[in-house]
Amino acid sequence: MERLRLIGIAAALPLIGACGVTARLEPYKQTDAVISEGEHVVVLARKQHSTHEAEEEFVQCISDGLSDGKRGLAVHSSKDFEDKMYPWFEPSTAPLSTDDLTVLLARPGVAEQVRETGVRYVVWVDGSTDRVASGGGITCAAGVGGAGCMGLAWWEDDSRYDLTVWDVKDIENEGTIYADYKGRSVMPAIVIPIPLITRPQNHACRGLTDQLRQFLTTPEGYTTPGSSPAPAATADVG
Amino acid sequence: MSLLPLDRSRLRLLAVAAAVSLGGCGGSEVIVEATFPRPLVEQLPVSMGVVIPDELYNFIYTEDIPDQSLWTIALGDANVAMLGPLFDGMFRQTKDVDSLALAAADTSLDGVIEPKLEKFEFDVPQGERDKFVEVWLQYEITVYEPDGATVIEWPVSGYGKSELLRDPEDAVQRAAVVAMREAGATIATKFSEQPQIKEWLGGIGNAAPITGPQAAVDGNATAESSSAPLE
Repeated sequence: MERLRLIGIAAALPLIGACGVTARLEPYKQTDAVISEGEHVVVLARKQHSTHEAEEEFVQCISDGLSDGKRGLAVHSSKDFEDKMYPWFEPSTAPLSTDDLTVLLARPGVAEQVRETGVRYVVWVDGSTDRVASGGGITCAAGVGGAGCMGLAWWEDDSRYDLTVWDVKDIENEGTIYADYKGRSVMPAIVIPIPLITRPQNHACRGLTDQLRQFLTTPEGYTTPGSSPAPAATADVG
Repeated sequence: MSLLPLDRSRLRLLAVAAAVSLGGCGGSEVIVEATFPRPLVEQLPVSMGVVIPDELYNFIYTEDIPDQSLWTIALGDANVAMLGPLFDGMFRQTKDVDSLALAAADTSLDGVIEPKLEKFEFDVPQGERDKFVEVWLQYEITVYEPDGATVIEWPVSGYGKSELLRDPEDAVQRAAVVAMREAGATIATKFSEQPQIKEWLGGIGNAAPITGPQAAVDGNATAESSSAPLE
Protein backbone atom coordinates (compact mmCIF):
# COMPACT_ATOMS: atom_id res chain seq x y z
CA MET A 1 0.00 0.00 0.00
CA GLU A 2 2.82 2.37 0.94
CA ARG A 3 4.69 1.53 -2.27
CA LEU A 4 1.53 2.18 -4.29
CA ARG A 5 1.15 5.57 -2.67
CA LEU A 6 4.75 6.51 -3.43
CA ILE A 7 4.37 5.44 -7.05
CA GLY A 8 1.19 7.48 -7.29
CA ILE A 9 2.83 10.56 -5.83
CA ALA A 10 5.80 10.20 -8.17
CA ALA A 11 3.46 9.92 -11.15
CA ALA A 12 1.38 12.90 -10.08
CA LEU A 13 4.30 15.28 -9.48
CA PRO A 14 4.79 16.30 -13.14
CA LEU A 15 1.06 16.88 -13.45
CA ILE A 16 1.00 18.99 -10.33
CA GLY A 17 3.76 21.07 -11.85
CA ALA A 18 1.61 21.54 -14.92
CA CYS A 19 -1.04 23.44 -13.02
CA GLY A 20 -0.76 27.22 -12.96
CA VAL A 21 -1.83 30.38 -14.73
CA THR A 22 -0.61 31.86 -17.99
CA ALA A 23 -1.31 35.57 -18.37
CA ARG A 24 -1.42 38.00 -21.27
CA LEU A 25 -2.10 41.70 -20.74
CA GLU A 26 -2.27 44.24 -23.54
CA PRO A 27 -2.89 47.86 -22.56
CA TYR A 28 -3.45 50.38 -25.33
CA LYS A 29 -3.84 54.03 -24.34
CA GLN A 30 -4.75 56.60 -26.95
CA THR A 31 -4.42 59.77 -24.89
CA ASP A 32 -2.23 61.02 -22.06
CA ALA A 33 -5.10 62.03 -19.77
CA VAL A 34 -4.79 61.10 -16.11
CA ILE A 35 -7.28 61.16 -13.28
CA SER A 36 -7.19 64.24 -11.06
CA GLU A 37 -8.06 64.89 -7.45
CA GLY A 38 -11.83 64.75 -6.89
CA GLU A 39 -12.54 62.81 -10.08
CA HIS A 40 -14.22 59.43 -9.80
CA VAL A 41 -14.16 56.20 -11.78
CA VAL A 42 -17.08 53.84 -12.25
CA VAL A 43 -16.69 50.25 -13.39
CA LEU A 44 -19.66 48.83 -15.31
CA ALA A 45 -20.34 45.47 -16.97
CA ARG A 46 -21.27 45.34 -20.63
CA LYS A 47 -24.63 43.55 -20.67
CA GLN A 48 -25.64 43.66 -24.31
CA HIS A 49 -24.45 40.18 -25.23
CA SER A 50 -26.81 37.23 -25.16
CA THR A 51 -24.09 34.61 -24.68
CA HIS A 52 -21.88 36.08 -22.00
CA GLU A 53 -21.62 38.84 -19.44
CA ALA A 54 -18.86 39.90 -17.10
CA GLU A 55 -19.57 38.36 -13.73
CA GLU A 56 -20.93 40.72 -11.07
CA GLU A 57 -18.30 39.61 -8.56
CA PHE A 58 -15.53 40.25 -11.11
CA VAL A 59 -16.73 43.81 -11.69
CA GLN A 60 -16.94 44.29 -7.92
CA CYS A 61 -13.43 42.83 -7.52
CA ILE A 62 -12.00 45.44 -9.91
CA SER A 63 -13.96 48.25 -8.23
CA ASP A 64 -12.75 47.18 -4.80
CA GLY A 65 -9.17 46.66 -5.95
CA LEU A 66 -9.04 50.07 -7.58
CA SER A 67 -10.19 51.85 -4.44
CA ASP A 68 -8.01 49.82 -2.03
CA GLY A 69 -4.74 50.85 -0.48
CA LYS A 70 -2.67 53.99 -0.28
CA ARG A 71 -2.85 54.47 -4.05
CA GLY A 72 -6.61 53.88 -4.07
CA LEU A 73 -8.69 55.87 -6.52
CA ALA A 74 -12.13 57.37 -5.94
CA VAL A 75 -14.48 54.69 -7.26
CA HIS A 76 -18.20 55.28 -7.61
CA SER A 77 -20.54 52.36 -6.83
CA SER A 78 -21.72 50.71 -10.07
CA LYS A 79 -25.25 50.10 -8.78
CA ASP A 80 -25.57 53.65 -7.49
CA PHE A 81 -24.36 55.08 -10.80
CA GLU A 82 -26.82 52.95 -12.81
CA ASP A 83 -29.64 54.04 -10.49
CA LYS A 84 -28.76 57.72 -10.72
CA MET A 85 -28.50 57.52 -14.51
CA TYR A 86 -31.60 55.30 -14.94
CA PRO A 87 -32.80 54.51 -17.61
CA TRP A 88 -29.72 55.38 -19.67
CA PHE A 89 -27.25 52.69 -18.58
CA GLU A 90 -29.54 49.66 -18.82
CA PRO A 91 -28.58 46.81 -21.21
CA SER A 92 -30.83 48.13 -24.00
CA THR A 93 -30.08 51.82 -23.56
CA ALA A 94 -26.41 52.03 -22.54
CA PRO A 95 -24.20 53.87 -25.03
CA LEU A 96 -22.14 51.51 -27.17
CA SER A 97 -19.77 54.11 -28.57
CA THR A 98 -18.54 57.58 -27.71
CA ASP A 99 -20.87 58.87 -30.45
CA ASP A 100 -23.79 57.37 -28.51
CA LEU A 101 -22.35 58.94 -25.36
CA THR A 102 -22.34 62.36 -27.06
CA VAL A 103 -26.04 61.94 -27.93
CA LEU A 104 -26.80 60.78 -24.40
CA LEU A 105 -24.99 63.64 -22.69
CA ALA A 106 -26.89 66.13 -24.87
CA ARG A 107 -30.18 65.04 -23.32
CA PRO A 108 -31.55 67.46 -20.72
CA GLY A 109 -30.32 66.69 -17.23
CA VAL A 110 -27.99 63.84 -18.14
CA ALA A 111 -24.67 65.71 -18.27
CA GLU A 112 -25.61 67.53 -15.04
CA GLN A 113 -26.34 64.22 -13.34
CA VAL A 114 -23.00 62.75 -14.46
CA ARG A 115 -21.23 65.85 -13.10
CA GLU A 116 -23.08 65.43 -9.81
CA THR A 117 -21.75 61.88 -9.42
CA GLY A 118 -18.20 63.19 -9.89
CA VAL A 119 -17.50 60.44 -12.41
CA ARG A 120 -14.99 61.29 -15.12
CA TYR A 121 -14.01 57.81 -16.29
CA VAL A 122 -16.38 54.99 -17.16
CA VAL A 123 -14.67 51.61 -17.39
CA TRP A 124 -16.63 49.04 -19.39
CA VAL A 125 -15.87 45.42 -18.53
CA ASP A 126 -16.58 42.91 -21.26
CA GLY A 127 -15.77 39.21 -21.21
CA SER A 128 -16.16 36.21 -18.97
CA THR A 129 -14.46 33.19 -17.45
CA ASP A 130 -15.28 29.90 -19.12
CA ARG A 131 -14.22 26.29 -18.80
CA VAL A 132 -12.47 25.52 -22.04
CA ALA A 133 -11.25 21.98 -21.42
CA SER A 134 -11.50 19.16 -18.92
CA GLY A 135 -10.59 15.51 -18.75
CA GLY A 136 -9.37 12.57 -16.72
CA GLY A 137 -11.35 10.75 -14.09
CA ILE A 138 -11.30 9.52 -10.53
CA THR A 139 -12.62 6.20 -9.31
CA CYS A 140 -13.52 5.63 -5.71
CA ALA A 141 -14.29 2.39 -3.95
CA ALA A 142 -15.19 1.35 -0.44
CA GLY A 143 -14.91 -2.00 1.28
CA VAL A 144 -14.67 -3.62 4.69
CA GLY A 145 -11.01 -2.70 4.97
CA GLY A 146 -11.51 0.95 4.10
CA ALA A 147 -12.14 3.28 1.19
CA GLY A 148 -10.03 5.10 -1.33
CA CYS A 149 -9.84 6.84 -4.68
CA MET A 150 -7.46 6.59 -7.60
CA GLY A 151 -7.12 8.66 -10.71
CA LEU A 152 -6.59 12.14 -11.96
CA ALA A 153 -8.99 14.86 -13.09
CA TRP A 154 -7.99 18.15 -14.70
CA TRP A 155 -9.70 21.20 -16.13
CA GLU A 156 -8.74 24.47 -17.73
CA ASP A 157 -10.48 27.83 -17.24
CA ASP A 158 -9.98 30.83 -19.48
CA SER A 159 -10.61 34.37 -18.21
CA ARG A 160 -10.78 36.79 -21.13
CA TYR A 161 -11.71 40.38 -20.45
CA ASP A 162 -11.58 43.69 -22.24
CA LEU A 163 -11.66 46.93 -20.31
CA THR A 164 -12.61 50.00 -22.31
CA VAL A 165 -12.04 53.36 -20.65
CA TRP A 166 -14.15 56.37 -21.58
CA ASP A 167 -13.57 59.92 -20.50
CA VAL A 168 -17.08 61.33 -20.02
CA LYS A 169 -15.75 64.85 -19.47
CA ASP A 170 -13.93 65.14 -22.79
CA ILE A 171 -16.16 62.48 -24.42
CA GLU A 172 -13.40 60.30 -25.81
CA ASN A 173 -12.25 56.74 -25.77
CA GLU A 174 -9.08 56.61 -23.69
CA GLY A 175 -8.13 53.11 -24.77
CA THR A 176 -8.47 49.47 -23.84
CA ILE A 177 -6.80 46.82 -21.74
CA TYR A 178 -7.10 43.25 -22.94
CA ALA A 179 -6.42 40.37 -20.58
CA ASP A 180 -6.33 36.64 -21.15
CA TYR A 181 -5.56 34.45 -18.16
CA LYS A 182 -5.60 30.68 -18.59
CA GLY A 183 -5.47 28.44 -15.56
CA ARG A 184 -5.16 24.67 -15.32
CA SER A 185 -6.28 22.86 -12.22
CA VAL A 186 -5.57 19.22 -11.39
CA MET A 187 -6.96 16.85 -8.82
CA PRO A 188 -4.87 13.72 -8.33
CA ALA A 189 -6.47 11.05 -6.19
CA ILE A 190 -4.15 8.71 -4.36
CA VAL A 191 -6.42 7.20 -1.74
CA ILE A 192 -7.79 10.71 -1.12
CA PRO A 193 -8.40 13.37 -3.82
CA ILE A 194 -6.03 16.34 -3.54
CA PRO A 195 -7.48 19.39 -5.30
CA LEU A 196 -4.83 21.75 -6.71
CA ILE A 197 -7.01 24.54 -8.00
CA THR A 198 -5.93 27.64 -9.83
CA ARG A 199 -8.34 30.53 -10.24
CA PRO A 200 -7.45 32.55 -13.32
CA GLN A 201 -10.33 34.93 -12.66
CA ASN A 202 -8.72 36.06 -9.39
CA HIS A 203 -5.40 36.55 -11.17
CA ALA A 204 -7.17 38.45 -13.98
CA CYS A 205 -8.83 40.73 -11.45
CA ARG A 206 -5.53 41.54 -9.75
CA GLY A 207 -3.68 41.99 -13.05
CA LEU A 208 -6.34 44.16 -14.63
CA THR A 209 -6.76 46.26 -11.50
CA ASP A 210 -3.03 47.03 -11.33
CA GLN A 211 -2.93 47.77 -15.05
CA LEU A 212 -6.06 49.94 -14.87
CA ARG A 213 -4.60 51.93 -12.00
CA GLN A 214 -1.50 52.67 -14.10
CA PHE A 215 -3.69 53.42 -17.09
CA LEU A 216 -5.60 56.05 -15.16
CA THR A 217 -2.69 57.57 -13.25
CA THR A 218 0.17 57.67 -15.78
CA PRO A 219 0.15 59.51 -19.11
CA GLU A 220 1.50 56.52 -21.04
CA GLY A 221 -0.85 54.08 -19.31
CA TYR A 222 1.71 51.46 -18.29
CA THR A 223 5.09 51.25 -16.62
CA THR A 224 8.21 51.40 -18.72
CA PRO A 225 9.91 48.14 -19.80
CA GLY A 226 11.88 46.60 -17.02
CA SER A 227 9.10 46.99 -14.53
CA SER A 228 6.12 44.71 -14.67
CA PRO A 229 3.66 44.50 -16.31
CA ALA A 230 4.68 45.75 -19.72
CA PRO A 231 2.38 46.09 -22.72
CA ALA A 232 1.46 42.79 -24.32
CA ALA A 233 3.12 41.06 -21.41
CA THR A 234 2.86 37.29 -21.22
CA ALA A 235 3.85 35.56 -18.04
CA ASP A 236 3.36 32.51 -15.91
CA VAL A 237 1.88 33.80 -12.72
CA GLY A 238 0.79 30.57 -11.11
CA MET B 1 -48.00 59.10 -5.59
CA SER B 2 -48.93 56.30 -3.21
CA LEU B 3 -49.63 52.89 -4.64
CA LEU B 4 -50.25 51.18 -1.36
CA PRO B 5 -53.87 51.35 -0.25
CA LEU B 6 -54.25 49.34 2.92
CA ASP B 7 -56.86 46.84 1.75
CA ARG B 8 -54.94 45.97 -1.39
CA SER B 9 -51.70 45.71 0.53
CA ARG B 10 -53.24 43.23 2.93
CA LEU B 11 -54.72 41.25 0.08
CA ARG B 12 -51.38 41.12 -1.63
CA LEU B 13 -49.59 39.95 1.48
CA LEU B 14 -52.21 37.27 1.97
CA ALA B 15 -51.87 36.13 -1.63
CA VAL B 16 -48.09 35.97 -1.39
CA ALA B 17 -48.28 34.13 1.92
CA ALA B 18 -50.72 31.62 0.45
CA ALA B 19 -48.57 31.08 -2.61
CA VAL B 20 -45.44 30.68 -0.53
CA SER B 21 -47.24 28.22 1.76
CA LEU B 22 -48.33 26.18 -1.24
CA GLY B 23 -44.91 26.40 -2.80
CA GLY B 24 -43.41 25.39 0.52
CA CYS B 25 -44.34 21.79 -0.22
CA GLY B 26 -40.99 21.13 -1.88
CA GLY B 27 -41.14 23.99 -4.36
CA SER B 28 -39.08 27.09 -5.07
CA GLU B 29 -40.43 30.44 -3.94
CA VAL B 30 -39.26 33.82 -5.07
CA ILE B 31 -40.67 37.10 -3.82
CA VAL B 32 -39.19 39.71 -6.10
CA GLU B 33 -38.24 42.73 -4.03
CA ALA B 34 -36.21 45.71 -5.11
CA THR B 35 -36.09 49.46 -5.10
CA PHE B 36 -36.38 51.10 -8.48
CA PRO B 37 -35.08 54.56 -9.31
CA ARG B 38 -37.05 57.46 -10.70
CA PRO B 39 -36.18 57.85 -14.38
CA LEU B 40 -33.99 60.73 -15.51
CA VAL B 41 -36.29 61.89 -18.32
CA GLU B 42 -38.02 65.10 -19.24
CA GLN B 43 -41.50 65.08 -17.73
CA LEU B 44 -44.44 65.22 -20.08
CA PRO B 45 -46.67 68.19 -19.22
CA VAL B 46 -49.75 66.14 -18.44
CA SER B 47 -51.71 65.14 -15.38
CA MET B 48 -52.32 61.39 -15.42
CA GLY B 49 -54.60 59.15 -13.45
CA VAL B 50 -52.93 55.84 -12.64
CA VAL B 51 -55.01 52.69 -12.36
CA ILE B 52 -53.15 49.74 -10.89
CA PRO B 53 -55.36 46.68 -11.30
CA ASP B 54 -55.53 44.13 -8.50
CA GLU B 55 -54.01 41.49 -10.78
CA LEU B 56 -50.84 43.58 -10.98
CA TYR B 57 -50.70 44.16 -7.23
CA ASN B 58 -51.13 40.47 -6.59
CA PHE B 59 -49.26 39.04 -9.54
CA ILE B 60 -48.00 35.56 -8.76
CA TYR B 61 -46.61 33.27 -11.41
CA THR B 62 -46.55 29.54 -10.82
CA GLU B 63 -45.07 26.87 -13.03
CA ASP B 64 -44.36 23.23 -12.37
CA ILE B 65 -41.17 22.46 -14.25
CA PRO B 66 -40.67 18.76 -14.97
CA ASP B 67 -37.54 17.33 -13.31
CA GLN B 68 -37.12 20.53 -11.30
CA SER B 69 -39.79 21.82 -8.96
CA LEU B 70 -42.89 23.94 -8.59
CA TRP B 71 -41.85 27.53 -8.94
CA THR B 72 -43.84 30.34 -7.33
CA ILE B 73 -42.73 33.84 -8.25
CA ALA B 74 -44.45 36.85 -6.67
CA LEU B 75 -43.96 40.14 -8.49
CA GLY B 76 -46.70 42.28 -6.90
CA ASP B 77 -44.45 44.29 -4.59
CA ALA B 78 -41.89 44.80 -7.30
CA ASN B 79 -44.55 45.99 -9.76
CA VAL B 80 -45.65 48.63 -7.29
CA ALA B 81 -42.06 49.62 -6.49
CA MET B 82 -41.20 49.96 -10.19
CA LEU B 83 -44.29 51.70 -11.58
CA GLY B 84 -44.68 54.35 -8.86
CA PRO B 85 -41.36 56.16 -9.40
CA LEU B 86 -41.53 55.47 -13.13
CA PHE B 87 -44.81 57.33 -13.68
CA ASP B 88 -43.84 60.04 -11.19
CA GLY B 89 -40.76 60.71 -13.26
CA MET B 90 -42.53 60.59 -16.62
CA PHE B 91 -45.53 62.85 -15.97
CA ARG B 92 -45.86 66.32 -14.48
CA GLN B 93 -48.53 65.06 -12.11
CA THR B 94 -49.95 61.65 -11.23
CA LYS B 95 -52.95 60.66 -9.19
CA ASP B 96 -54.04 57.17 -8.07
CA VAL B 97 -57.50 56.29 -9.27
CA ASP B 98 -59.35 53.11 -8.42
CA SER B 99 -61.06 52.67 -11.74
CA LEU B 100 -61.46 54.18 -15.15
CA ALA B 101 -65.07 55.10 -14.37
CA LEU B 102 -63.99 57.18 -11.36
CA ALA B 103 -61.33 58.92 -13.43
CA ALA B 104 -63.96 60.21 -15.84
CA ALA B 105 -65.38 62.41 -13.09
CA ASP B 106 -62.00 64.02 -12.37
CA THR B 107 -61.67 67.05 -14.61
CA SER B 108 -58.09 67.70 -13.55
CA LEU B 109 -56.83 64.65 -15.45
CA ASP B 110 -55.56 64.77 -19.03
CA GLY B 111 -55.62 60.99 -19.31
CA VAL B 112 -55.46 57.70 -17.49
CA ILE B 113 -52.72 55.07 -17.69
CA GLU B 114 -53.29 51.43 -16.78
CA PRO B 115 -50.42 48.93 -16.76
CA LYS B 116 -50.97 45.18 -16.80
CA LEU B 117 -48.46 42.35 -16.65
CA GLU B 118 -49.58 40.17 -19.54
CA LYS B 119 -46.81 37.60 -19.89
CA PHE B 120 -44.05 36.15 -17.78
CA GLU B 121 -41.53 33.47 -18.72
CA PHE B 122 -38.36 32.26 -17.10
CA ASP B 123 -35.70 29.65 -17.62
CA VAL B 124 -33.37 28.08 -15.09
CA PRO B 125 -30.49 26.21 -16.76
CA GLN B 126 -29.83 22.62 -15.84
CA GLY B 127 -26.75 21.82 -17.91
CA GLU B 128 -23.25 22.77 -16.80
CA ARG B 129 -22.69 24.84 -19.93
CA ASP B 130 -25.54 27.25 -19.26
CA LYS B 131 -24.62 29.98 -16.81
CA PHE B 132 -27.60 32.30 -16.87
CA VAL B 133 -31.10 32.35 -15.51
CA GLU B 134 -33.32 34.27 -17.92
CA VAL B 135 -36.58 36.14 -17.37
CA TRP B 136 -38.81 37.67 -20.00
CA LEU B 137 -41.95 39.61 -19.24
CA GLN B 138 -44.40 41.78 -21.09
CA TYR B 139 -46.50 44.61 -19.76
CA GLU B 140 -49.41 46.11 -21.60
CA ILE B 141 -49.66 49.84 -21.12
CA THR B 142 -53.08 51.23 -21.94
CA VAL B 143 -53.68 54.97 -22.08
CA TYR B 144 -57.22 56.30 -22.02
CA GLU B 145 -58.78 59.67 -22.66
CA PRO B 146 -60.55 60.98 -19.53
CA ASP B 147 -63.86 59.91 -21.11
CA GLY B 148 -62.64 56.31 -21.36
CA ALA B 149 -61.74 56.22 -25.05
CA THR B 150 -58.58 54.18 -25.68
CA VAL B 151 -55.56 56.16 -26.89
CA ILE B 152 -53.13 53.25 -27.16
CA GLU B 153 -52.62 49.66 -26.07
CA TRP B 154 -48.87 49.30 -26.01
CA PRO B 155 -47.09 46.01 -25.27
CA VAL B 156 -43.70 46.57 -23.65
CA SER B 157 -41.35 43.69 -22.98
CA GLY B 158 -38.28 43.35 -20.82
CA TYR B 159 -35.55 40.74 -20.72
CA GLY B 160 -33.12 40.04 -17.95
CA LYS B 161 -30.49 37.46 -17.23
CA SER B 162 -28.48 36.71 -14.17
CA GLU B 163 -25.57 34.45 -13.48
CA LEU B 164 -26.58 31.22 -11.79
CA LEU B 165 -24.40 30.83 -8.72
CA ARG B 166 -25.42 28.65 -5.81
CA ASP B 167 -28.98 29.76 -5.30
CA PRO B 168 -31.37 29.50 -8.30
CA GLU B 169 -34.08 31.47 -6.45
CA ASP B 170 -31.73 34.40 -5.96
CA ALA B 171 -30.72 34.28 -9.62
CA VAL B 172 -34.39 34.33 -10.71
CA GLN B 173 -35.01 37.31 -8.43
CA ARG B 174 -32.05 39.22 -9.90
CA ALA B 175 -33.00 38.38 -13.50
CA ALA B 176 -36.59 39.48 -12.86
CA VAL B 177 -35.39 42.83 -11.51
CA VAL B 178 -33.20 43.34 -14.60
CA ALA B 179 -36.16 42.49 -16.85
CA MET B 180 -38.41 44.92 -14.98
CA ARG B 181 -35.81 47.68 -15.18
CA GLU B 182 -35.54 47.03 -18.91
CA ALA B 183 -39.31 47.28 -19.35
CA GLY B 184 -39.34 50.47 -17.27
CA ALA B 185 -36.52 51.90 -19.38
CA THR B 186 -38.48 51.22 -22.56
CA ILE B 187 -41.62 52.81 -21.13
CA ALA B 188 -39.71 55.89 -19.96
CA THR B 189 -37.75 56.42 -23.17
CA LYS B 190 -40.22 55.33 -25.87
CA PHE B 191 -43.60 56.42 -24.52
CA SER B 192 -43.77 59.78 -26.26
CA GLU B 193 -42.48 58.28 -29.52
CA GLN B 194 -45.66 56.29 -30.06
CA PRO B 195 -47.68 57.91 -32.87
CA GLN B 196 -50.94 57.62 -30.94
CA ILE B 197 -49.36 59.29 -27.91
CA LYS B 198 -47.98 62.10 -30.07
CA GLU B 199 -51.43 62.67 -31.53
CA TRP B 200 -53.06 62.54 -28.10
CA LEU B 201 -50.57 65.01 -26.64
CA GLY B 202 -51.13 67.30 -29.61
CA GLY B 203 -54.87 67.03 -29.12
CA ILE B 204 -54.76 68.22 -25.53
CA GLY B 205 -52.54 71.14 -26.48
CA ASN B 206 -49.45 69.77 -24.84
CA ALA B 207 -47.26 68.67 -27.70
CA ALA B 208 -44.61 66.14 -26.87
CA PRO B 209 -41.12 67.59 -26.86
CA ILE B 210 -39.37 67.10 -30.17
CA THR B 211 -35.99 66.86 -28.51
CA GLY B 212 -35.23 65.66 -25.06
CA PRO B 213 -34.79 62.42 -23.17
CA GLN B 214 -37.97 60.87 -24.47
CA ALA B 215 -37.33 61.71 -28.10
CA ALA B 216 -36.18 58.82 -30.25
CA VAL B 217 -32.53 58.56 -31.07
CA ASP B 218 -33.40 57.60 -34.63
CA GLY B 219 -36.91 58.98 -34.72
CA ASN B 220 -38.42 55.67 -35.75
CA ALA B 221 -41.49 55.10 -33.63
CA THR B 222 -42.66 51.56 -33.09
CA ALA B 223 -45.70 50.27 -31.32
CA GLU B 224 -43.84 47.42 -29.71
CA SER B 225 -40.57 47.10 -27.89
CA SER B 226 -37.88 45.01 -29.43
CA SER B 227 -37.11 42.35 -26.84
CA ALA B 228 -37.88 38.81 -27.85
CA PRO B 229 -39.39 36.07 -25.71
CA LEU B 230 -37.27 33.24 -24.46
CA GLU B 231 -36.85 30.35 -26.79
